[in-house]
Amino acid sequence: MKRVNALVLAGYGLNCDNETAYALELTGASAIKVHINSLIDGSVGLDDFQIMVFVGGFSWGDDHGAGVIQAVRLKTNLGDKMLEFVDRGNLVLGICNGFQTLVNLGLLPGFRGDYKTRSIALTFNDCGNFRDDWVMLKVNPSSPCVFTKGFDTMELPVRHGEGKFYSDKAVIEQLFKNNQVVVRYAMSKGRLANNRFPFNPNGSINDIAGICDPTGRIFGLMPHPEAFNHWTNHPDWTRDKEKIKRRGGAVKPGTTAGIRMFQNGVDFICGGY
Amino acid sequence: MPYRLEIALNPDLFGAEGEGIRRKAFHYFGLKLSQVRAINVLTIDADLTADQLKTIQTEIFTNPVTQTSSFDPIPIEFDWIIWVGFRPGVRDNPGSTAVEAVEDILGIKFKPGEAIYTSKRYCLKGKGLRPEDADKIAGELLANNIIQRWKIYSQRNWDNKTGTGIIIPRVRLDHKPVVEPIPIDTDETLKSISDERNLALNPNDIPTIRAYFLDSKVQAERALVGLAEPTDVELEYISQARSDHCNHNTFQGLFHYKDLSTGHAEVVDNIFETCIKEPTLSLKEKKPWVVSVLWDNAGAGQFDGDHYYVITGETHNSPSNMEAYGGAITGIVGVYRDPMGTGKGAKLIMGGYGYCVGQRDYAGDLTPHLHPRRLLDGVIEGVRDGGNKSGIPTTFGQLLFHPGYMGKALVFVTAVGIMPAQINGEPSEQKKTSPGNLVIMCGGRVGKDGIHGVTAASEVFSESTPAGHVQIGDPYTQKKMHDFILEARDKGLIRFITDNGGGGLSSSVGESALFSNGCEIELEKVPLKYEGLDQWEIWISESQERMTVAIRPEDLDRFLALSKKHAVESTVIGKYTDSGKLHITYNGKTCAYINLDLLSSGFPQWEFDAHWQEPDKRGLFEPVIREPGDYEALLTDILSRPNICSREWIVRQYDHEVQGTSVIKPLVGAGRDVNSDASVIRPVLDSEKGLAFAQALLPAYSAIDAYHMTACTIDEAVRRLIAVGADLDMIGGVDNFCWPNVQYHPQDNPDGKFKAAQLVRSCRALRDICLAYGIPLLSGKDSMYIDGYLAGRYGETHKVSALETIQFSTISVINDINKCITMDSKIPGDLVYILGETGNELGGSEYYEHYGYVGLNVPQVHSRQFATLYRALGSAIEKEVVASAHGIYRGGLGLHLALVAMGGGLGMKVDLALVPSNSVNRIDTILFSESAGRFIVTIDPENRKTFEDIFKGLPCSCIGVITDKSGDLVISDSKNRGKSKTIISIPVQDLKAAWKKPFGELI
Repeated sequence: MKRVNALVLAGYGLNCDNETAYALELTGASAIKVHINSLIDGSVGLDDFQIMVFVGGFSWGDDHGAGVIQAVRLKTNLGDKMLEFVDRGNLVLGICNGFQTLVNLGLLPGFRGDYKTRSIALTFNDCGNFRDDWVMLKVNPSSPCVFTKGFDTMELPVRHGEGKFYSDKAVIEQLFKNNQVVVRYAMSKGRLANNRFPFNPNGSINDIAGICDPTGRIFGLMPHPEAFNHWTNHPDWTRDKEKIKRRGGAVKPGTTAGIRMFQNGVDFICGGY
Repeated sequence: MPYRLEIALNPDLFGAEGEGIRRKAFHYFGLKLSQVRAINVLTIDADLTADQLKTIQTEIFTNPVTQTSSFDPIPIEFDWIIWVGFRPGVRDNPGSTAVEAVEDILGIKFKPGEAIYTSKRYCLKGKGLRPEDADKIAGELLANNIIQRWKIYSQRNWDNKTGTGIIIPRVRLDHKPVVEPIPIDTDETLKSISDERNLALNPNDIPTIRAYFLDSKVQAERALVGLAEPTDVELEYISQARSDHCNHNTFQGLFHYKDLSTGHAEVVDNIFETCIKEPTLSLKEKKPWVVSVLWDNAGAGQFDGDHYYVITGETHNSPSNMEAYGGAITGIVGVYRDPMGTGKGAKLIMGGYGYCVGQRDYAGDLTPHLHPRRLLDGVIEGVRDGGNKSGIPTTFGQLLFHPGYMGKALVFVTAVGIMPAQINGEPSEQKKTSPGNLVIMCGGRVGKDGIHGVTAASEVFSESTPAGHVQIGDPYTQKKMHDFILEARDKGLIRFITDNGGGGLSSSVGESALFSNGCEIELEKVPLKYEGLDQWEIWISESQERMTVAIRPEDLDRFLALSKKHAVESTVIGKYTDSGKLHITYNGKTCAYINLDLLSSGFPQWEFDAHWQEPDKRGLFEPVIREPGDYEALLTDILSRPNICSREWIVRQYDHEVQGTSVIKPLVGAGRDVNSDASVIRPVLDSEKGLAFAQALLPAYSAIDAYHMTACTIDEAVRRLIAVGADLDMIGGVDNFCWPNVQYHPQDNPDGKFKAAQLVRSCRALRDICLAYGIPLLSGKDSMYIDGYLAGRYGETHKVSALETIQFSTISVINDINKCITMDSKIPGDLVYILGETGNELGGSEYYEHYGYVGLNVPQVHSRQFATLYRALGSAIEKEVVASAHGIYRGGLGLHLALVAMGGGLGMKVDLALVPSNSVNRIDTILFSESAGRFIVTIDPENRKTFEDIFKGLPCSCIGVITDKSGDLVISDSKNRGKSKTIISIPVQDLKAAWKKPFGELI
């Protein structure tokens, strides 16, 4: 099996680089945290990598729209290098602030090969505040998204103030038509949240929590898979453990949903699909 | 030429910000607005071409999907317009990032003086909204006159062509920096200058200061560098270092303690030395895991063979009372610099908060600068942005309402970090400066902000407190610096590091120079935000987000290259020497030349009279109450009390899971909405070890005796950790004292002697309980003036002093996080146990407070018995025979049984006759006594024997059973002591509804 190299962006107020790299390492990939400036000044090149992760955080303090300045800086200084990276069949994952950056770069939604147009916004939560909570996600089985293969539902934490997915009707329709809507906020059993707070924590149109490009190789989502890297991250783990014990089961479950999502990406590069 | 760009959400989009303001205007003032729209305004004070303006407008500042923007005023319907902008010199974080983005996309550099400023324009619609209503919304909701100014426009005076006009809050000082000599011919001269310049020198220190500068040897040395009389720079330096905030003069003072009941008198010399330092050092001898205490910015304990954790706690009270958001964000961001400046630098991994404020719905006659509700909102948001944008999980916190905090609200902030045990083969907890090392200032630039913050914190709050000490922290700049510092540390570049907090460079350079025994600083090299600062201002400014670092000259190039990569400004401002002198020059001319040992020699100790009177002699007694009949209504009402009810709205707006380390969250249970006893994180991701963290505050007991207040607070913080699975022998503590002024004054502070006695007693409890439980004090701080003068209804003012308050934080390594437990009941059929004895201890309780009483029988800590019980529970959790554990804290057994049931979303049936108790015969006493040392534990019936064996001979009794989902909490008494056998039978979901009701609407 070939070693998969993942680039994890860092610096300028990003703050999930460490656990994102850790999550990737758990899948067997080699993950390197790279400062945005090291990418810009060329001291680190994209050529050595197969997965690029735009991580969560508050790049430039989120001061002029979350992810906006990061997108401007990368677009200005890297320009087509990112598009070439995608063209080579590699994977791009944007989580939270990273998702916000991908839509501001135009890498998403990427209709008809257009990876430059901004047509989606992730704007202020309808509830009017930052919110940290776990959400249930319903996964679209028909989506081409590489990262969510084999999932029906998954639980992950959200932690954001600007996560309301918004776009005009035509774009939303197109996204559904192309099966680019990958994950949607749902109730505990997987029924869609239908904009009910707090299941849909931010008022996202059509409960959209994450989308991919038409190839399925660029994926952005608001929830944080890297923050579910150990079974004790799950809010119910002490309750689940007690239930399993009473049934006489082995207490420690296997890989978490968050890690399985990264594993899908790494397996894809290894040719598992 | 300046330009004004206005940006608004598209009209068809829901504006969450405006909607929040609309709701608050109604909840705060009863004003009905039909619509509020917010417009972001950028004032671009730079020479840009039309093309450049177009580029930044479309590429950076306007989201094509959601926003419209214009260089002309955007027409939006309104009845009133309120524009709000910062005052000159106030930190404008979005303004700075706007400059970064513009420079980047245009490939230009802003010239000196060019800048971008942000402000807001609000368009309000509401029928019959009067001018005074608009004034109220502007001044009491949207803006704070200390940091902001505003303009109000009616439809009549709004011109849609000019809009707000162009307002540029640039600082213009037009001042040539000058060093002033200060005459010291008499004590009176110096005293009057100290008052004039707001130096806050203690009158007792003045003779010592004069004697130093009049010493002939000192004068001869000074003459050689061209100095005679002390300069303002020098006196400011001495004042900062001698302030109570930096020097802890009160804790190191001499207390003449007298027990008025017995007549016994004694002299208590230096409570810091006897009650904090000595016990901690003796515990350090016995506990090899205690790594570094009592000298650095934070204390360090061993996490595992390769890592040390560090912890410290602070308060940021005075600034938060002036500007709640700015004060609180500066507080949390500031305390996060302490671990960064501990040893050779630690990574931040966790934060905590504690807020003590007046009643949220206060409607009385007193008028504090900020209404408690507004103050609380601002503080919550400040810590939210400070913590979230730093990428540090905020995992634990407390909120307490009491009228005493109307005078000065308290904002506690706590920081936990982690560092490798070794860096390049050197111990990470050690650091020193050496002669020849360079002095480097990293991070933000220096402005007038925060000048005299330290001395203001050492004074009672009044309307004349200078507003200049209020700042707005910048977590973004600091996060970049944090990442930079850690990389520099790992490359072995850092010899010494400390933060610039209170006292600025004066403190950080002054203290770090003690290691090498001298320094030479070239003050003109310090990067400034704007020109015109006097030398003394540069030296003591508390501008935020700065660290002082010592490096070897040969490492300079690597250090600066790394700094550049992280977009952090670093500047060499001098070098360390071994001259014994603090030597400061400005453009080659000496402006300070002082013996570094001056501060450690010869200053008189502060003295206090401390008079204690036993509570019963002070007229306290147990109230005469006949047993209630309706316990269901009583319990429901207690659940809805402001200090008991759910505060989920705060917890949810704090990121408590970033870094991916969360093990026990602040909210747990089936509904993920009941508070956990403590939080646990897994700071080293590939390790199964954890860190448990909790805090406690019980100031109500101070109304009876601060000794027992302190003992109970420590006991609660310890029990909280035990309840999640910590080992008593691994717990370390942090003490944060907030005390009213203890210096007696017949008119201004007539009960000063009593408050001083309370402080002595509190410190003794700290010593006694920490020694008994074996808890080293890893860190601690004191804030000694929690008093305020509030205007009343008739133009009079009232001095309002808070209750004597200590926040105690506990931290412990958890050996195996997989064995941690939570407080929620788990499975129907599980047995419910009570550990520990319930006594007749309702004094100071929530129950008495509910009726308006204080009482006398304050809870007491029997540390030896308790410790045995805690070890037993630790062993039961280690053996994995416990399904849930929860301490019984404020509110007593009844309330905490309800919380365990609510956590599990399951019913519970218990018999109070089985509760282990000590001569308690009344149901209300059993249900609401706040006796310390108790837990509620649930277990699998299969584990009954193992569990009971562990607790043989200890107060432990099975009182009932967990019942079904959607069950009731059923409390009965088989001894028939109440009016009926079944005392309480309420659906658990109704209890939860009552508990959530008071703040349930808040998000």
